[in-house]
Amino acid sequence: MTALLATENLTMRFGGVVAVDGVTLSIGERELRCLIGPNGAGKSTFFRCLTGQYRPTSGRVLWRGRDIVGLEPHAIARLGIGIKTQVPSLFDGLTALEGVALGVRRLHGEREARRRALAALDRLGIADLAGATVGLLAHGQRQLVELATVVAPEPDLIILDEPTAGMSAEETAGTAALIREMSRDHAIVVVEHDMQFIRAIAETVTVLHQGRVLVEDTAPVVLSDPRVHDVYLGRPPEARQAVPA
Amino acid sequence: MERRRAAFQSGLAVFAAAVAAWWLPQVLELFSIINATVYTAMAVLALSLALVWGFGGILCFGQAAFFGLGGYAYAVGALNVGDTTWAIPIALLVPTLAAAALGYVMFYGRISDVYMGVITLTVTLILFNFINSTAGEEWRIGAAPLGGFNGIPATPPLNVPGDPGTPLTPEQIFVVALACLAGCYVLCKLILRSHFGRVVVAIRENELRASLLGYDVRLYKLGIFTIGGAMAGLAGMLFANCVFVSPTMFSLAYSGQIIIWVMIGGVGTLFGPVVGAMLLQALTAWAGTLPDINPNLILGLVLVVAVLAIPRGLQPTLAGLLRRREAP
Repeated sequence: MTALLATENLTMRFGGVVAVDGVTLSIGERELRCLIGPNGAGKSTFFRCLTGQYRPTSGRVLWRGRDIVGLEPHAIARLGIGIKTQVPSLFDGLTALEGVALGVRRLHGEREARRRALAALDRLGIADLAGATVGLLAHGQRQLVELATVVAPEPDLIILDEPTAGMSAEETAGTAALIREMSRDHAIVVVEHDMQFIRAIAETVTVLHQGRVLVEDTAPVVLSDPRVHDVYLGRPPEARQAVPA
Repeated sequence: MERRRAAFQSGLAVFAAAVAAWWLPQVLELFSIINATVYTAMAVLALSLALVWGFGGILCFGQAAFFGLGGYAYAVGALNVGDTTWAIPIALLVPTLAAAALGYVMFYGRISDVYMGVITLTVTLILFNFINSTAGEEWRIGAAPLGGFNGIPATPPLNVPGDPGTPLTPEQIFVVALACLAGCYVLCKLILRSHFGRVVVAIRENELRASLLGYDVRLYKLGIFTIGGAMAGLAGMLFANCVFVSPTMFSLAYSGQIIIWVMIGGVGTLFGPVVGAMLLQALTAWAGTLPDINPNLILGLVLVVAVLAIPRGLQPTLAGLLRRREAP
């Protein structure tokens, strides 16, 4: 069966630095995939290659089997991919409702767009913020408004880059529950480094280290893998493998 | 609510223009009517940048280029065709196509904001120098000599549509200019109320987010930039009808002044830049009558004081004061 989104030997170089090094992975319909790794693992670069913000040096990104490398970010979004960036990327001068509705308006009429936008805000538990100017909201609220903006057009795949960065523990727990709920209808890729959050939501986890896939398995297996602990602690995983049992 | 307010403001603008068109020709002398037409043309020019910069977020230093192209295209068209009825679409088409071509290169070439300012200013200065160097007899388009530094003093005024033998009087040209200003204002309001306008404003707010929602940012920017270019061309055509076309239309002084009008009126507003353009034009004219004082010194002083005292511009500051007064 053709994967919804797949990468084949995806590589991104910046001069002599290889930020993403031959990453191959595949995400199916309604799959919840977490992409983790310590700082500098290449997660954000990989995210930008998927979303068209970077053009990879080599390799392919396949959407339902079609190579989408070279497409502009707006064209990738139009395929049915919702994208949430690491730092909330919002229309600060608009109200939450206006901003969320704008994403839906491309697909539906004015009235329907507002209805769907309100429904998305309600789903995120922030319907009371509909009339608030986005630029005046707190960071956690902005994260939720951006999630609503991404979810409202009902994309087939949602890519979330550190969706809980800067959120309170309560907001993080709420977002974890929400992502689990959303994964019933959408395929979701979550790029994160917060292990607690991953533990709360993950089904399948791919670990990146120095731009390569270190390990890919179910969440319990990955999170108990000593190599994953090593890279998070800054120890090279090869060192452990080199030590005789 | 917002829709009703926009409709009210548009209606008010049309009403004010109609009153001015009826009343001012009765009370003003010919010289003042011509001056008022120039101010109105400049207000249309200010409106063009108010749309492009204030709502599109594109700081264009080259609005004078489209203004000059509109004026020259009108003059050349009128001298060649004879009937100025056909010179009007030419005056709109040339700056529109120029704006579309320049915009395409900038937006699809991924030029960043700073370089966009540099490019638009450079294009204006290139046109200024080029037109200045067209003094020879060989520099003519059909029956129209470009005239180099002297411009085209024999620019024909607008005539009654389809009747080239009956030119409009200065009073009638003033009414046409007011109708153009009111029409442009209403057009801007309609654009900003439309889905296209909302996306343009959203792009100003956050280009990346608009792109990630599936909007082709380049296309929308090109659209608003081209509309602004057409509007500036219309202003050039009106200006050509009350003065005459010359290379100063492309000058650095004009490029800078348009930005000052919008800044003083209020970036992100439409009515403010119209008032800003008219006030500063009137101030320049008055300062020009003062003995031993360079009007530019007065203008510079006004700009410094305005930036310090009302950094948001006239319209937002006055609106803020009114809101504060109305608040319980």
